[in-house]
Amino acid sequence: MTDCPRFEGEGMKYIDGEMSAVERAEFERHCAGCASCRRELDSFTRLDALAGRVKMVDPTDAFWERYWRSVYRRVERKTAWVLMLAGALMIAVYALRQLFESFHRVTFETIAVLLFAAGFVLLLVSLIRERCHQYKNDPYKDVKR
Amino acid sequence: MRRPSPEDEIPKDVLAAWVGGSEPAFALIVKATMRRAYAVALGFLGNAEDARDVSQEAYVAAHAARKRFDAERPFFPWFYRILRNRCLNALESRARRPEVSLDVVAERNDPGCGPERSHERRETAALVWKALFAIAPEHREIVVLRTFQELSYREIARTLDIPEGTVMSRLFYARQALRGALEGLPEFDDLKEETP
Ligand SMILES: [Zn+2]
Repeated sequence: MTDCPRFEGEGMKYIDGEMSAVERAEFERHCAGCASCRRELDSFTRLDALAGRVKMVDPTDAFWERYWRSVYRRVERKTAWVLMLAGALMIAVYALRQLFESFHRVTFETIAVLLFAAGFVLLLVSLIRERCHQYKNDPYKDVKR
Repeated sequence: MRRPSPEDEIPKDVLAAWVGGSEPAFALIVKATMRRAYAVALGFLGNAEDARDVSQEAYVAAHAARKRFDAERPFFPWFYRILRNRCLNALESRARRPEVSLDVVAERNDPGCGPERSHERRETAALVWKALFAIAPEHREIVVLRTFQELSYREIARTLDIPEGTVMSRLFYARQALRGALEGLPEFDDLKEETP
């Protein structure tokens, strides 16, 4: 347990080298007389030394060469989806209009259009619901971007 | 991984060109920041495949939202929020159990010790990495920024858009959590003795 209130702020700054020489000397003086801070400082310093021995492995050059191309492809694909979606929406509107004009006859086309429209609406609702869920979990939604 | 500094930012005219739709500018931005983005995502997600996929998706999302970016401001803090949200969402969809891969970390080279210790050193890296993924993502995030990316408090404050005082207290609680997680691992006791 950390008992001394000074450790939370100053202990971290001390370990991370974020203190001026004056501040360091002052905190060291405090530690000399504060067993709690001494104990915590020792424990956190060891933790930091341990964590500091670990590094992330840098992926290969080939990985990075593929990286940008892959981002580019994803952008391209997204554009393609948007275009297709816009086209599909227009076809759906057109087909529905045709459908209402000949609604007295149930034909193969009627069924196909209705199935397509139902699937499309379901997909849209599902996507919107996912977006709303993501937005709710956005910790920065109240922050100006 | 190289220490990435938020200070070495992308020139304003490149950013402005990107907002205007320039694809070469977008390429420049991605290439200048992809290592940092990948490292951030890796810190959240724990394995290379997810880190690559989610960081790339974040670039796509940033590109789609570029009109909302103010080219007078630095790119990375703005992008970081998109990336962070994507990572947190990915974690959530994985039901909060990140698939942690141990081959994405290693121990920093220590010329002072011979090859006979190399196995044991890999174990230390794995141990710390495992403990990191036992703590909350928000705690892990700040430890990764400070310890792995070696950012200063000022740089962390800028990246996360929080005051430096908050960086300090978040670090304190995060390290406390990490210490708790490490102490919970049986291998930690042997390590405690040899750590200077
Ligand atoms: Zn004290």
